[in-house]
Amino acid sequence: MAQLVRQFASGIYNLILGLFTTTKHLGRHAITIQYPKERWDIPERSRGMVVLLTDHETGKLNCTACLLCMRACPSGAIDIEIEKDEKGKRHLVEFKVNYHICCFCGLCEESCNFAAIKLATKFEFPEFDKANLIWDSKKLAEMGFDVPYVKPVRKKPVAKKPAAKPVAKPDGDKPDGDKPTEAKPAEQKAAEDKPEEKPVTEAKAPEVKAAEEKPVEQVPDKKEESTGPEQSDSESKEDKTS
Amino acid sequence: MAERLRTEEMIMNMGPQHPATHGVCRLILTIDGEVINDCVPVIGYLHRAIEKICENRTYAQCIPLLDRFEYVTSMSCNWAFALAAEKLTDLEIPERAEYLRVIMAELNRIASHLLCIGVTAMDLGALTPFLYTFREREFILDLFEMTCGQRLTYNYIWVGGVSKDIPPEFIPKCREFLDIIDEKCDDYEKILTKNPIWLVRNKGIGIIPEKMVHDYAISGPSARASGVNFDIRKHDSYGVYDRFDFDVPVFFGCDCYDRYRARMAEMRQSARIIRQALDQMSDGPVRAKVTMNFKPKPGEVYSRIENSRGEMGIYLVSDGTKKPFRMRARGGSYNHLMAIPEITRGLKIADLVALFASLDIILPEIDR
Repeated sequence: MAQLVRQFASGIYNLILGLFTTTKHLGRHAITIQYPKERWDIPERSRGMVVLLTDHETGKLNCTACLLCMRACPSGAIDIEIEKDEKGKRHLVEFKVNYHICCFCGLCEESCNFAAIKLATKFEFPEFDKANLIWDSKKLAEMGFDVPYVKPVRKKPVAKKPAAKPVAKPDGDKPDGDKPTEAKPAEQKAAEDKPEEKPVTEAKAPEVKAAEEKPVEQVPDKKEESTGPEQSDSESKEDKTS
Repeated sequence: MAERLRTEEMIMNMGPQHPATHGVCRLILTIDGEVINDCVPVIGYLHRAIEKICENRTYAQCIPLLDRFEYVTSMSCNWAFALAAEKLTDLEIPERAEYLRVIMAELNRIASHLLCIGVTAMDLGALTPFLYTFREREFILDLFEMTCGQRLTYNYIWVGGVSKDIPPEFIPKCREFLDIIDEKCDDYEKILTKNPIWLVRNKGIGIIPEKMVHDYAISGPSARASGVNFDIRKHDSYGVYDRFDFDVPVFFGCDCYDRYRARMAEMRQSARIIRQALDQMSDGPVRAKVTMNFKPKPGEVYSRIENSRGEMGIYLVSDGTKKPFRMRARGGSYNHLMAIPEITRGLKIADLVALFASLDIILPEIDR
């Protein structure tokens, strides 16, 4: 009997103690917010919508069509269409992100060396139609136009440029100093070999000079070429393993 | 009397959409009135073939998949996989990265236990603790979002370190959280621990004797509530856990109530570990030099860590290519669920809800 009374008393006491704890919260302000009307601060690193970034100086996309993000994507959400011009340079034709299967892991952003793709902090893009969730490069660039980013600093854009030519060789063993001296003549040869008739080479030469004189266009050109070695490396790795 | 009112046994489905099954688990109950005579768990509703998909992905690409393996403590899953891959490659991890891993995993453990306690309370009819624990959980998720950009699928602990260093505002915020967590734990205890309704619903319910712990390989807080002093952090130390001073709370009640108490005590110990880690941490790099498509040596390895709901293990077989030849994951929940038929025999249906919640079973971990 005494035990029952003690149990009863302790039960009542602890219920009151719990109620006291809950009543303490009555005076506190609410921690929830009314979402569409009120907003909260989203951290800078928040991984939301995948966007393509634009170089505001040139107005072109930073993407160099190196396909590294496509390979890094674990769910295969990125689909890139490229075309090669007569020099072997890659050009971006279409860049598609499939939001059905994108898992927002951020590996594409991590693999990109040119600050071309980023997971922005935007997160509201519901659609009524499933087909509207496959975005092309125009839409991706539009959404990423105002996204701030830090442009990566390329250390040696000139020295890396010639190394783009030897595609098949996985030249990891060569010392760095040899690359420019070896590759420069190879590039000249390639330039000479393609146009066999002399007048054509003469006609082409001023064009190249003209292109070099324009400082604005030069920057993306160099970038495009400097993707060569990494691209070739990853390609050769793919071939070996598969 | 009993002969005149002889009743047939009834077979009833509990789940797959039952909210107390914490995912999509179907329990086929054979009941005699309120009493459960038999229980057959049906699993596989959440099967996503994570282990098979991992065989077609590089090691770096496996980590986002491991986030989905057990989404309440993604950090620990990432860590288990990273540990296995690092053992295969003989990688040296920067010291700061090791500390960051400990901090993140312990924060995640607190978040997971908060979820477990809150959800258990809600399953048993108390809504208030659920709201309180989720408030603190939000705090931790904010810390994670600030660090790695996501609130649930972090992809933070990578092979060779962690993906990013913490932002400068992380440490003051984390300390702020550590200051309040003990106080908040006291609040939960005031509401729950001695509450007569909580005691009636939990004490003496779902008893797992020590022998059953060994038979079914039950691990984690559920094993420690049955008097088994086993914590991988302490007894098979990994990372830098051997540098911290912490206790392994062991209880001997074997019931739902002691499993709750074990979780409560573990949260305080986790906060203690994080405090020490924040004090000991020094500056430095957070990632070893590994490429995205690295190739480990051929061989096989099993790495295990202490997850919030038991032993989390990853078995990896490498054939020297950049993709794993075989990946097999072990989660604690599977063993817990398989022990349920034996535990539930003779319990009431309402007690099964308490038992299921107290074992902290997460279905994606079972189905993979």
